[in-house]
Amino acid sequence: MSFGDYMLFIVSAILVNNILLAKFLGNCPFLGVSKRMDTATGMSMAVIFVMVMAGMITWLVQYYILVPLNIEYLQTIAFILVIAALVQLVEIVMAKSLPALYRALGIFLPLITTNCAVLGVAIININEEFDFVDTLVFSLASALGYSLALILFAGIRERFMLIKMPKAFQGTSIGLVVAGFLALAFSGFAGLVGGH
Amino acid sequence: MLVVLTVICAVSGFSLALVHDVTREPIEYSRLKFVKEPAVKAVLSGYQNDPIKDRLVIPVGTDKKGKPVKLIVFPAKKDGKTFAVAFESAAGGYHGDIGVMVGVDINSKKLSGISIVSHTETPGLGARIIEPNFTDSFKGKSLDKDLGVSDISALSGATFSTKGVVTAVNKARATLDKYRDKMVQ
Amino acid sequence: MSLAKEFTKGLWEIVPPFRLVLGLCPTLAVTTSAENGMGMGLATTFVLVCSNLLVSLLRKVIPSKVRIAAYVVIIASFVVIVELMMQAYVFPLYQALGIFIPLIVVNCIILGRAEAFAGKNSPLPSIADGLGVGIGYTISLTVLGAFREILGNGTIWSHGLFWDGFEPFTFMVRAPGAFVALGCFLAMINLVSAKLDDRKRRAQS
Repeated sequence: MSFGDYMLFIVSAILVNNILLAKFLGNCPFLGVSKRMDTATGMSMAVIFVMVMAGMITWLVQYYILVPLNIEYLQTIAFILVIAALVQLVEIVMAKSLPALYRALGIFLPLITTNCAVLGVAIININEEFDFVDTLVFSLASALGYSLALILFAGIRERFMLIKMPKAFQGTSIGLVVAGFLALAFSGFAGLVGGH
Repeated sequence: MLVVLTVICAVSGFSLALVHDVTREPIEYSRLKFVKEPAVKAVLSGYQNDPIKDRLVIPVGTDKKGKPVKLIVFPAKKDGKTFAVAFESAAGGYHGDIGVMVGVDINSKKLSGISIVSHTETPGLGARIIEPNFTDSFKGKSLDKDLGVSDISALSGATFSTKGVVTAVNKARATLDKYRDKMVQ
Repeated sequence: MSLAKEFTKGLWEIVPPFRLVLGLCPTLAVTTSAENGMGMGLATTFVLVCSNLLVSLLRKVIPSKVRIAAYVVIIASFVVIVELMMQAYVFPLYQALGIFIPLIVVNCIILGRAEAFAGKNSPLPSIADGLGVGIGYTISLTVLGAFREILGNGTIWSHGLFWDGFEPFTFMVRAPGAFVALGCFLAMINLVSAKLDDRKRRAQS
């Protein structure tokens, strides 16, 4: 793909088909950690890191192990094991060599194993038949889109804490409604990548 | 600790392989039925059988890597005898390959119809190859020799797409000539 | 707790995704119609019950250090089984639910119940727990799906409901509508459960 194509590809992944607001991946932690800015940024960093690495490794597993051995139907189980092992490994390595970052990420690192966005992106890379470079770009762009949504959301929610609100709506409910309007705003980007 | 985990993985692997084996045939049938059947139905008519169920898989040579290429042929039968077949063919259009399901009457060698199975042509221009005006113009055309763009109702402003479909049909003609006997088993 | 209680708590007390706020990703994505919601709910219930049962049966054998890894393998295996069976026998539903079928493996509900309940209780209550939570989830998904389908598409179970010229509130079947609908549902349920708690408290005093 040319540079222009890549730019479109990236913009599409971040804004138009935002992995969280348009594709619904990664919602559970989304509502949990977006209450404050610092937790949101912590989770974002962890997601970017894990999603890119997981995207690359699962791609290699698919095309160098699953396909040659004709066991593509084991994709789900193979991928989740790769992700779980990757997160575990990253935790161990980070605790030893980058302790400050490790402490900053805190509990978010292990939590990423069950983040459907990571597994989701890994599967999408294969379904869309991306080559290795495209996988790398897509994983990174998706992670950035996720972080963008997360941080925007946290910013909005922090302000919401200062408003009076009916008890029924407090917490997750209003969070969801706000997410809905954020999703609406992002869907306005649909015309950005014209044509298809 | 590791023993337990290994045992669980082994049992899991074994059971999954088992389920995979059991479901292989139903899955293939389902896939073909829901993904290909609409196209098959669009190009064949008047048959008494289930073309998907009666499908034939014919080896048609090898690809660049030396792996055998298989062609799935869907037969249309009346009184147990195949009178028409449908199979897929592909050729490059304006933007990527165009997949065409071709239906041919075995005896008269006339096209019973075509249906566009996949394409990435330009919306509003090349993508109009899926319109009935275009595909219907292929019906009844003889495959005794290669089709030309002038034999059908070409799309103005979409010459590459049109040519792509015609090429795909002509490729199908070559396939038919080469493997006709295997197709009417 | 009796078996019946284990079962019914999944239907209200800890019904996901409303009172047990887990399993949100599929909730938002597949509730574009009642049929899809129910399909996903049933697939998830199958995996949940099977994994709860197996985890419970093996709870004394799995060492604590590797229990999460073991749970993941068990759950993932059942998800693959569900994937294969759906592809074979209900292909259109498989196509409709798409990527969210393999994503059942990271549905926090299943891992959550394995960790919180099945890992510490005997098989029969674990089955009841799995069934209750699963069916509660299925009902939630079906209701939410129906709501969005009726408003957003004018159909219910793919049957047209309104007169021909009716313009449905398409917002509801798109991404933003999912969030808003779920948010409002959640708020409603919060309201109802608050009122119920109030009544219970007043009855006790």
